[in-house]
Amino acid sequence: MTNTILKSFLAALTACTLCVQAEQVQAETGTTAQQLETLQQQIEALQQQLNTTTSVLPVPPLASDSGHLLEIGLSSLLAVGASSVDNDALTHLQAGGHDPNQNGFTVQNVELMISATVDPYLDAQANLIFLIDAEGETVVELEEAFFTSRSLPHGLQLKGGQYYTEFGRRNAQHPHSWAFVDQPVILSRLFGGDGLRSQGTRLSWLMPTDWYSELYVGLQNAKGETVSSFLSAAGEDIAGHTLLDRSSRNFGDLLYSARWLNALDLSDTTSLNLGISGLWGPNASGLTTDTRIYGLDLYLKWQALNSQRGYPFVAWHSELLERHYEAGDATDPSHENLNDQGWFTQLLWGYTSNWVAGLRLERAYAEGDTSTDPLRDTRKRLSPNLTWYITEYSKLRLQYNRDWAQHLNEDSADSLWLQFEFNMGRHMAHTF
Amino acid sequence: MRTFIHIISLWLLTGFTANAEALQVITSTTDLAALSKAIGGEHVQVKSLTPGSRDPHYAVAKPSMIRQLHRADLLVIVGADLETGWLPALLQSARNPRAYPGQQGHLDLSTHVSLLGRAQQPVSRAMGDVHSQGNPHYWLDPANQRLMARAIKARLASLDPAHADDYRTALLNFEHTLNERMQHWKNQLANLKNQPVIAYHNSFIYLAQAFGFRIVDEIEPQPGIAPSAASLAELVSTIQRQQIALLIMEPYYERRSAQFIQQHTDIKLAVLPQSVGAKEDIKTMFELFDAIVETLTQTLKN
Repeated sequence: MTNTILKSFLAALTACTLCVQAEQVQAETGTTAQQLETLQQQIEALQQQLNTTTSVLPVPPLASDSGHLLEIGLSSLLAVGASSVDNDALTHLQAGGHDPNQNGFTVQNVELMISATVDPYLDAQANLIFLIDAEGETVVELEEAFFTSRSLPHGLQLKGGQYYTEFGRRNAQHPHSWAFVDQPVILSRLFGGDGLRSQGTRLSWLMPTDWYSELYVGLQNAKGETVSSFLSAAGEDIAGHTLLDRSSRNFGDLLYSARWLNALDLSDTTSLNLGISGLWGPNASGLTTDTRIYGLDLYLKWQALNSQRGYPFVAWHSELLERHYEAGDATDPSHENLNDQGWFTQLLWGYTSNWVAGLRLERAYAEGDTSTDPLRDTRKRLSPNLTWYITEYSKLRLQYNRDWAQHLNEDSADSLWLQFEFNMGRHMAHTF
Repeated sequence: MRTFIHIISLWLLTGFTANAEALQVITSTTDLAALSKAIGGEHVQVKSLTPGSRDPHYAVAKPSMIRQLHRADLLVIVGADLETGWLPALLQSARNPRAYPGQQGHLDLSTHVSLLGRAQQPVSRAMGDVHSQGNPHYWLDPANQRLMARAIKARLASLDPAHADDYRTALLNFEHTLNERMQHWKNQLANLKNQPVIAYHNSFIYLAQAFGFRIVDEIEPQPGIAPSAASLAELVSTIQRQQIALLIMEPYYERRSAQFIQQHTDIKLAVLPQSVGAKEDIKTMFELFDAIVETLTQTLKN
């Protein structure tokens, strides 16, 4: 009761003082209506403040900044292009699930993103993707659907659901944020066409250091087409070993992941991210076989101090990956250890507002005689491109790919792709 | 291995013992940082997420910002969708419930001033980057500085009641200086009253309100949309027809369009610092308006 009286008294008092001040200001500028409106808002704001200080409110959604409870966005990526090789050869060269992979038009990715704050404790996001395959069939996938915690103590955050494994920098990026029309060769080889994603949970810890340092540890299902280096899908083939229908029976049969990411601001204009990642899990080439994958990633970005719309900038992104795949049980006569490696390095130069020139160089290779296997032979690819961001919501990209692959009879291939993107609704969130 | 563990534990220890005395205030822009420092004085440690030399619409999320947000006792933002492209994702990664919208540690100053340019009709992206809640460049009206300073003072006092008296004194000093300077600035810019002016972007309407000039058109045909040859030609004829004498723009926009216009008209160009830190020697809000007023008077004199 006293509380209410006190509040009304305070509000009246503030109103009075504001009125007196308003009279002065008014005399000074002569814009009565505006000043009154300001005053009204002031009083409302003050009353609101009084309310918040005396009662405990639940944490409202992050999106309340713009007044929406649900953020919805749709991003569409289309490509058209031609190559010196036929469509069959292209499916091997462009092994990514969203890569343009046929002469003519490709619907690379139509992605519906929905995100919201669930309640005071959770944020959530879902990404549904639609694409049209080479046979003209529409494919729908639940790409991601996960929650993240909002208020765990000590810098901890829990994530759960179906999500991209935080391995390296590139794996968890959606096609909308890619800097090239296709995904790096080594990622298609180790993680399959759709990137490494599965169902599970991960805990991350924002360490109490002076610079940014975050540790991620995760546990996910090892089975499915999107976990291709692990239990994957029965009947698939790797280096002549047909995968069994091996299912998880205990915690040892899950996919374990870890990532440590560090970031430093080297100066006002330059920042550096350095990450190291690892994956451990069973594979289905035998009943006791395992796979290990390690990765290093580096991202260096320079942005002019006096930049317009974020330009000019230079960004250098490189990753190195390595897979140790135990193929066939130790008792199996065909038992062998498959070692694959690869890297890509890409440089982006935003040389003037809305224009970005890019250059990517990559290499993928494996130990042993793998020259006829399109997924394990020695490959090199050079890809210059140019992107024009027409506005924040649409872009046009031209990319040339020069491929050298052992499995190709003529040894090299040339392809040219033109990509167009348009976005509707909420702008897709860009993380660093 | 043992040395490694030693290094790790030492590093964790030093991390945990960061300065816990002063209130950690993180602001989205340098203007809000200068204002928070003016009110908070020695009781606050203030850091801006973005530098004053860049356009805050297009800030890029960096991991170091997550680190800063994680520790913040108070996050002060411009609001009105200015930070919408980068701040929500950062807040989600920063896992600091104190700084979430609606909490005591989150201060959206746009709710404390009267915004101009609120959408009067449904907004479409065909109109360019329109902020439906109103134009977010309100810090460029000194009268709004007063309201912003008051809101910051009230919030600091409620987060840190022990120093409420100091915050009140700092606010009184701030308002006193502001009143004095305001008179000076208005005298200096008396010639500008009712004058038509062209701006680059729709970002000086509050400055125009404060000093009584009129912004009749912008170089950008629509907010955030780059000018074309046709739109520039049309602007040139507007300038000639209405005999507009002044073009104002922020330092970070391209100059080619302005140069083109100057080649075809007699218009004078004033490149105005839009924020604290836009030039190295601008460190307070007073210095910002001093610099703006100085640039305008010099341009008009020549």
